[in-house]
Amino acid sequence: MKTTGYLTVAAGLLAATALTDGALAQSGPIKIGVVTPLSGTYTPIGQQVRWGLELAAKEINAGGGIAGRQVSLVFEDEEANPAVAVQKAEKLFQVEKVDFLTGTVNSGSTLAVAQLAERNAKLAATTVSFADSITTDKCSPNMFRVNARAEQQSVALAAWLAKEKPKAKVYYLGPDYEMGRSTVAAFKSSAEKSGAPTGGEVFAPLDSKDYTQYFGQIRASRPQVLYTSVAGNDTVRLLTQLQDFGLLTNLQVVGASGTVTSQNIGAIGQAAEGFATGVGYSPQIDTPENKAFVAAFRAANKADPDLYGADSYGLLFAYKAAVEKAGSTETDKVREALRGLSWQTPQGAKTIRAGDHQAMQPMYVVRVAKGKFDIIDKVDADKAIGPDACTRF
Amino acid sequence: MRDRLTLSMRASHLLALVLVTAALALAAIGAASGDTFYLRLGTEALIFAGLALSVDLLLGYSGALSLGQALYFGIGAYVSALTLLKVPSFWLAMAAAGGATLIASIVGGLIANRVRGVYFALITFGLAQVVAKVVYNTRELGASDGMIGIPVIEIGFGPVSVSAGNPVGFFLVVLAIIMGLYGITAYLLDTPFGRVLTALKANEKRVPFLGYSVWRARMFSYVLAGLIAGLSGALYPMLRGFVSPELMFFVTSGNAVISVILGGVGTLIGAIYGSVLLVLLKSIIGSWTEHHLIVIGLIFMVCVMFLPKGLVGFIRPRIEQRLLAGAQKPAAPSFAPARLEAGSAKP
Repeated sequence: MKTTGYLTVAAGLLAATALTDGALAQSGPIKIGVVTPLSGTYTPIGQQVRWGLELAAKEINAGGGIAGRQVSLVFEDEEANPAVAVQKAEKLFQVEKVDFLTGTVNSGSTLAVAQLAERNAKLAATTVSFADSITTDKCSPNMFRVNARAEQQSVALAAWLAKEKPKAKVYYLGPDYEMGRSTVAAFKSSAEKSGAPTGGEVFAPLDSKDYTQYFGQIRASRPQVLYTSVAGNDTVRLLTQLQDFGLLTNLQVVGASGTVTSQNIGAIGQAAEGFATGVGYSPQIDTPENKAFVAAFRAANKADPDLYGADSYGLLFAYKAAVEKAGSTETDKVREALRGLSWQTPQGAKTIRAGDHQAMQPMYVVRVAKGKFDIIDKVDADKAIGPDACTRF
Repeated sequence: MRDRLTLSMRASHLLALVLVTAALALAAIGAASGDTFYLRLGTEALIFAGLALSVDLLLGYSGALSLGQALYFGIGAYVSALTLLKVPSFWLAMAAAGGATLIASIVGGLIANRVRGVYFALITFGLAQVVAKVVYNTRELGASDGMIGIPVIEIGFGPVSVSAGNPVGFFLVVLAIIMGLYGITAYLLDTPFGRVLTALKANEKRVPFLGYSVWRARMFSYVLAGLIAGLSGALYPMLRGFVSPELMFFVTSGNAVISVILGGVGTLIGAIYGSVLLVLLKSIIGSWTEHHLIVIGLIFMVCVMFLPKGLVGFIRPRIEQRLLAGAQKPAAPSFAPARLEAGSAKP
């Protein structure tokens, strides 16, 4: 039959491709799969991930590649949806036969891709997802994280607060959904550990128009510090209303890293002055490595790098160091090489903790002054990392 | 005189046979070449085809547009995942998911079937959003992270068993289940109950005058559709090993509606073809350009403009003509068969 003939040919072709792939595996380019949002709400984050990785790949290839092999990046759109991310990651592992995978933004995608990497005996890393679970209770032997997780941000901020305003009473105002409640709980536990008493806490619905209804209870508890993890336009309303009611005098406002961003800082205006937060990266870090990185990034992309771009850029150098140390791209050998690896990034030296695959890095405290973030403090890597809570390996 | 609905159903069955043959060929090639990705992509397409089938049952027969069918798909997936985490049994997971979606769709049906038309679409949309948000914020259900770590199970059929991790084996199991759901739906629509549903779409006000309960027919089709979506959803965590709240979001419901329109509203088998086509297109175009949503949107628009009855709606009248010609060889058909679809049948 004619169809069977075609089928045999197709099957033969598939088998032939499989054979050549095997033969090329040790000499051809090293393929790195990137599943990151290229469409939808998270496109700006995916864009930074892409720019960071492309710049690093260009620099590595210009310098002779990884162990003499060139690096090639294969992109797929994550759509910030775990169901899509897993399907695309499987395609990269099975069809493109990538050696390593990165790029996932949605924390659910990162967790699901970690499990897929385990089942395909491949390694993956995230440079964006900050949910603590990825390197704590849901840690995976095949997943690494090179960016700062939520706890590192809050530990760094709490450490600075303890130094700046020792034993200051803190009031908490969070958005009323799971993420909002967990960020408040995380900072509260860090702050209480460093001796800051809690004045009270309140959760406002997402997209609240009027925060003044909570001001009575905030005033009554007389806090010196207000912690908030609201984001976007909610921050604009909260801070401007606080200012209108004169509550910002003698009150230090601190928050999560997404509370005040370049997107809403203009709309908040004067009310944003003095707001402080903990971050893993700022383009203003005053080191020669970072200045060179920012200049190269600007030249290539006509935009400043943010933490996603910087963390993604740094990741490829970690993978390069690990492959060269292991002398191979085999999963088990590279995993061993990545564990405990220390390498240089624009943010300073990072070390991957062997116990939970979380990168330890110096953290920075930034504060708004004249509408711009200034670095006001640096917290050492070992002070910001928190305990190893991964029990799987 | 041959019955019109029966005739179009027979044409659909013929297309179903073609689909099964193609699927078996894919399984054979996949097994021979040791492929994993395309077989698992095909399995995912079939799972979402089950969801599309449930949308077509509502939209194509009783004329009710559900924009929240992913609700039942998601409930099936979550209940199946929770069951598998406790007891790794395929049959128990399917039974639990079926039971849970049955109850959920009775509750949902009692709410949604109080209204008609655009209000029905909005209520179903709202119900799905509310439940999705609740899941998104419930830490016990994994909240926004979803749940991972669902084990790869063995599916026992008496003496033999198939592993859900075996791409060919699980593909065939899912194919059998989805085609089984198609068969049951097609059978039910060929009964007097099916005629009542078609009558509902055509002229709902006249149905009570014929002595049929509108509410009962609408409710039955809604619950059946919920059950089909739930059983399909129950297969998802077995394939991918995780569930996430995105499975209940509008993207999932919307994709199912697009699948049905691509494949052909009111053709049942069209929903399955549409879903396979959409998953394939998304995978191929998605790797080719990051502007895949624009390309798929354009294809969808072209399809709606030039193939308003969908792919199957375009092909099926030709098959019907053949069938009719085969049945009554000498006599030429005296009416235009192109207007004979069940979905658009007007009394």
